[in-house]
Amino acid sequence: MLASSKSRLGLMLVTPALIFTSVCFLLPVAALLLDAFRIGGPDSLDGGPLQWSLARFADFFAEPLHLQVLWRTLRIAALVTLCSALLCYPAAQAIVRVHARWRGLVLGMMILPLMVSPIARTYAWIVLFGRNGAVNAVLLHLGLADEPQRLLFTEMAVFVGLLQLLLPLMLMSLVSAMENISADLALAASTLGANAWQVFTRVTLPLTQEGLIVGGTLVFTGSVTAYVTPALLGGPKVLMLETLLYQKVSVESDFGTANVIAVILVAMTLAVNAGLKRIAAPRRTT
Amino acid sequence: MKQGLFPRVVLWAVMLFLLGPFIIVFLAGFSGGETLAFPPPSYSRRWIVSVLQAEEFRQAFGTSLQIGLLATVIALLLGVPVAYAMSRMPPPGMAVIKQVLTSPLIIPAMLVGLGLLRHFVLLVDAPVFLGLLIGHVGLLTPYAVRVVYSSLANLRVDIEEAAITLGATRLQTFRLVVLPNIRGAVIAAFFLAFVTSFNQVPVSLFLTGPGISTLPIEMLGHMENSFDPSIAALSTLLVLFTMAFVLVTEKVLGISKYM
Amino acid sequence: MSYLNLQQVALGYGNARTAVEGLDLAVQRGELISLLGPSGCGKTTTMRAIAGLIDLRAGRITLDGRDISRLPPNKRDIGLVFQSYALFPHLNVFDNVAFGLRLRKVPAAELRQRVEKVIAAVGLSGFEARLPAQMSGGQQQRVALARAIVIEPKLLLLDEPLSNLDAKLRVQMRAELRRIQRELGITMLYVTHDQDEALAMSDRIVVMNSGKIEQLDTPEQLFNAPRTRFVANFMGFENLFDYRHGQLHGAAGQLPLAGLPANTACAGWRVQQVQVGSGPYEGRVLSRGFLGEHVEYLLQTALGEVRGMAPAAQASAREGDTVRFDLPVQDALALAA
Repeated sequence: MLASSKSRLGLMLVTPALIFTSVCFLLPVAALLLDAFRIGGPDSLDGGPLQWSLARFADFFAEPLHLQVLWRTLRIAALVTLCSALLCYPAAQAIVRVHARWRGLVLGMMILPLMVSPIARTYAWIVLFGRNGAVNAVLLHLGLADEPQRLLFTEMAVFVGLLQLLLPLMLMSLVSAMENISADLALAASTLGANAWQVFTRVTLPLTQEGLIVGGTLVFTGSVTAYVTPALLGGPKVLMLETLLYQKVSVESDFGTANVIAVILVAMTLAVNAGLKRIAAPRRTT
Repeated sequence: MKQGLFPRVVLWAVMLFLLGPFIIVFLAGFSGGETLAFPPPSYSRRWIVSVLQAEEFRQAFGTSLQIGLLATVIALLLGVPVAYAMSRMPPPGMAVIKQVLTSPLIIPAMLVGLGLLRHFVLLVDAPVFLGLLIGHVGLLTPYAVRVVYSSLANLRVDIEEAAITLGATRLQTFRLVVLPNIRGAVIAAFFLAFVTSFNQVPVSLFLTGPGISTLPIEMLGHMENSFDPSIAALSTLLVLFTMAFVLVTEKVLGISKYM
Repeated sequence: MSYLNLQQVALGYGNARTAVEGLDLAVQRGELISLLGPSGCGKTTTMRAIAGLIDLRAGRITLDGRDISRLPPNKRDIGLVFQSYALFPHLNVFDNVAFGLRLRKVPAAELRQRVEKVIAAVGLSGFEARLPAQMSGGQQQRVALARAIVIEPKLLLLDEPLSNLDAKLRVQMRAELRRIQRELGITMLYVTHDQDEALAMSDRIVVMNSGKIEQLDTPEQLFNAPRTRFVANFMGFENLFDYRHGQLHGAAGQLPLAGLPANTACAGWRVQQVQVGSGPYEGRVLSRGFLGEHVEYLLQTALGEVRGMAPAAQASAREGDTVRFDLPVQDALALAA
């Protein structure tokens, strides 16, 4: 194959997707992000000439509700990430030890939820947490409460919903990381005197670091950019960044603020992804 | 092994946590009552029947199906050549190109929907269906690339060289030698993309319009206004549909190895 | 006019230094010519360039009077048998072999006849429905050969086709290939690093080293009269020494030897030619290896290390012993500068 024509052919094959992604994806999003840094112009409500400004950001951060939403989003995302890691380490450990025959089935059952609509997955919590739902029924029955508690539209509900939504991502990451660790390593460590906890912290944890980081990134960004779950379980009372964004656009037609939120969302996901690359990269040398 | 008890228990708890809700949704879907009381006062198929007959849901289902199929096909048409180029003949600047093409996986989907709405659909007064389609295609293409690429990376190059020395053109080589050997990956990519499109919410939020709505959006809208078990019933149907889909393709093709 | 002609061909990979430089080669029609040399000498690179899988940096290639230097591989009418066989995993034997004919739109009846004939020629009748995964290495190799032959190419290139087979099968297949080549009269270019293989099969051998041709000759000539130090070493002359002013010069010192031609710069002996047990020189046994009829000795001598042999019955010397040995001048290979 003539080398130069090969390169050219490669370019040709990539071009349609490249053009499509740039024009139909990156450009509109870039325009959106840019708008957050500008005020005025013929289409705006403010009037005045089009100019660069950080005024929108200033306005955004001045509003206490916005700060509350931002903080809440980060808080819940961090909590979900932490809990998913805590739960998935033992669970992944168990999966890796499962007999090969059942492994496929178990993994399939873990992956299945990811294929189902987030609406269906979140719905169960609505059923459970509702005024007439199961949890309240149990509480009343056991006499732990006098009247139906408001469980829906609380931070806890959003937390639980997000945890259930994103757990499989962390699980898959950790399982694949653990599969690469020979079972002999833990055995060797224990013959050298390590107890279970030490084996975990000194052998398992360091070796699955990359899987943990990948899973953590997926879960964290998934939490920050989730819409359906916060919308259904948090509602207008417990707003997260994306539900706030939606509200600004559909209810208030406040595109200016919406653009600012967009910038914040992109900045967060890019930062987390970049951070991942930086932490993961030095590993390559070992 | 005693040490294995704790992880095993956690695993069972996690599995219950992940899969239990489906059972709840099933039960709620077959509720005979008027509201979302749980446990349901009685069981009946009335809500299942009612959603199957509801016009707005049928239409939304149709739209979701159309968008899903079209977007998936287009995503494959765009993505398979990319996967091939990436593995066999990387063009100059491959690293940058890769970043650009995987950006849809990083950018929050809602922003894409909003961006497309404001800077495309409204700008050129494009039909709603087109905007929705574009949004979905953009989201699905990286999946197509990723799944097909991993299969191509494992395919030996020498068989393509053999075909060429036997007289085949590049196109013939692709059609007669490469494609048959990545068939599984292409089909897996098809299913993965289709399911992703079908369940998509954030992109579709801003891109749907009067008469053109995807099923998830329609469901969300319904939930705002009424609190009957019809959405539970619909969710039940969707879950059964998805489960059957996934189980059959996993059995026939073993797609989980392509993820 | 030779059938295949390479003129001043230069080849390289990417931006790296040239792998092959100033290569001239003329192959006659119906010849079986081997490219022989160690790894990295450029033989596979040369073959891939002839096939069209690598671009020429300089020079020309002509085949049957046609300049093919700029032609893409699928238009050169050259068959290539890969070291890895490269059989299409999704096609059975028949379809693998028929692949090239189908591309050429050969009518069905003729196609069937030609394919079956060539499958029989390689001894695989009855295997038509098998998939590559269901066959042994030797069988796969024969399918690869059949697939390349059936299109009746002008030239057949074989890239170390036997290197993945076990020793016994290799010897067997070697004879088969030679027979088929003779029968069909195909011009063949055969790449190998195995000296025995090249000697057994070829009409002529091209010995390559670091991108250049060291010697191009018949097997007999190459074996008996290597013209350079590299070729001599490659052909089994393990004892090679510089020669100046009547003295052999080795790594450790020198020994006198008279009777070599005046312009000799280098003298060499095969292991079998160095007699251990008697002779004018002395050495200490470093190691001793039993070979059945003979015993092979590695000696430390004034020259450095010398390898020789003695008939088993007379090989009483052990490690550490001092023995006499001879470098018979009449058996010496004398190379001029």
